[in-house]
Amino acid sequence: MIGQSTVLAAEFPPSVEDFYLPSILPWGAHDSYWFTKITLLVWVAVALIIIFFLVSYRKPQLVPTKKQWLAESLYGFVRNNIAVEMIGARGVAFAPYLTTLFCFILLNNLFSIVPLIQISPNSHIAFPAILAVISYVMFIYVGIRHHGGFFKYMKAALIPPAPWFILPLLIPIEFFSNFMVRPFSLAVRLFANMFAGHMLLLVFTLGGFAMVSANVWFTPFSIVSWIMTIALTFLEFLVIVLQAYVFTVLTASYVQGALADEH
Amino acid sequence: MTGQEPPSNPHGDDGQNPPDTGQGMTAVSYLLGGMLVWGGIGWLVDHYVGTKGIFAGIGAVVGIAGGVYLIVRRLGA
Repeated sequence: MIGQSTVLAAEFPPSVEDFYLPSILPWGAHDSYWFTKITLLVWVAVALIIIFFLVSYRKPQLVPTKKQWLAESLYGFVRNNIAVEMIGARGVAFAPYLTTLFCFILLNNLFSIVPLIQISPNSHIAFPAILAVISYVMFIYVGIRHHGGFFKYMKAALIPPAPWFILPLLIPIEFFSNFMVRPFSLAVRLFANMFAGHMLLLVFTLGGFAMVSANVWFTPFSIVSWIMTIALTFLEFLVIVLQAYVFTVLTASYVQGALADEH
Repeated sequence: MTGQEPPSNPHGDDGQNPPDTGQGMTAVSYLLGGMLVWGGIGWLVDHYVGTKGIFAGIGAVVGIAGGVYLIVRRLGA
């Protein structure tokens, strides 16, 4: 216990280094980040989602079992409350992608508060960035296909209903906010929330150990610090669900924008 | 819930409105985008002409104006 607490306390304050976990394959190698806990967690998330949905839908019952009910609720929630709500009747076609996205982000985020796992792959910018790129490419592709050509889509997306003499002012803004800010903000929002959440929990946990090892009389403060960790874990749960929801809703809203006709 | 039909008229209900996260984000990105794009262009002009920020300032204000105009046109009634 003492050894552990000094080891942990030695790392206070937490830094970005704490997000780079030791290599698993090859075991314990230095500066090798090809297969770490993060990589493992992503594959676990993928496997869990696939297995969960396969098992729950293998023998669908008219009166659903608990598992089937959960799977159907997840899909139904995303289809009715995100896809159809944001995109309209055509949204049903995007429900499978949005559900996958929602489940994947939710599960990966959830790792950040599961005891003993307690780090989310999404706290590394690479994973949200790739998810954002997928959504980005998808909504542009959908837009091009819907408008029947790259230039027609660009015309619809970039040229607002405005007199011609303000257009030179507006088109750069439209381009910037539609095609540059969107993927960036999608990725950064998710990443920053998960990063900050992990950092916050680290500060309060390690801070408790740092205070104990600095002076035994600080123990009450350490205990308060650890209680704060637990409280913040619940706050994290809120952030986790909210961020998974926001990412999915925004993707749906971008698809809706790409499918929109002239207003 | 899957068995349930998707709502046929998602926006026509008089119940609670969906949280329009998309619209809020669009508005924010227009404002920031306007400021950054035209402020940035102004900054480049400053750099080229040799002034100390007057064009960046003008650009940011013009960009904000453009952003507000876009929000009114795209998101307004």
